[in-house]
Amino acid sequence: MTYKVTEEGNVSTVFLNGEIDMDITEKAKEVILPLVESGKEVHLNLKDVSYMDSSGISVLIESHQKALEKNTKVIVKDVSKSVLKVIMMAKLEQILNLE
Amino acid sequence: MSISESKDFPVSTSSLKEVRVFSREVFEKLNLDQDLKDELVLAIAEAAQNIVKHGYKGVEETEDRMEIKISLNESQLEIGFFDKGKPVVPENVQHRKLDDIKPGGLGTFFIKQIMDGAVFKKDQKGWVNHLVLSKKI
Repeated sequence: MTYKVTEEGNVSTVFLNGEIDMDITEKAKEVILPLVESGKEVHLNLKDVSYMDSSGISVLIESHQKALEKNTKVIVKDVSKSVLKVIMMAKLEQILNLE
Repeated sequence: MSISESKDFPVSTSSLKEVRVFSREVFEKLNLDQDLKDELVLAIAEAAQNIVKHGYKGVEETEDRMEIKISLNESQLEIGFFDKGKPVVPENVQHRKLDDIKPGGLGTFFIKQIMDGAVFKKDQKGWVNHLVLSKKI
């Protein structure tokens, strides 16, 4: 997995790239969670994420829940078809903020 | 059509990508719908992840390997997982309730959603655990 972070005002956008599995979830959390903890609105752009397993889904849930604690939000954007299928299999499409 | 291919991998999170590569290579040889191939790869990766995460919980490093065997006979697909981790108590293998939203506990749910069957067999032949996932395709 590779990533890029851009900042615009109070919004941080994390562009993730590649396949997200248990091997890289700690790295993903290290990137995302501090941004959420700082109270910023975080956009996770998953356009270039071709695969995500239950570990990746856990990162999305943890980020979302942390954002609720911090009175901010995480928006999951540009989800690829294959990742959307996994999100829907977990019945999270109504829980996560998807755009 | 019939096919039977197996490969072993180090028990490590860093093997999960190789597990997916192996699975995709095998499924490429079969005339399967892409969505079905993606689902099967996910189920295999989740089962392999369970070995690393639960079978070797608390083990920082190991020389052990796990083996995955993908077999198709007519339309019956079987995927075997062999490992030497902690013995699995099948009754304890449960996913979390979906409406209890929290990180974790979804891998087994995905496997059950995708596959027709998931059974721990007692014919380990030197292994500790032998899980067989099955699906009619």
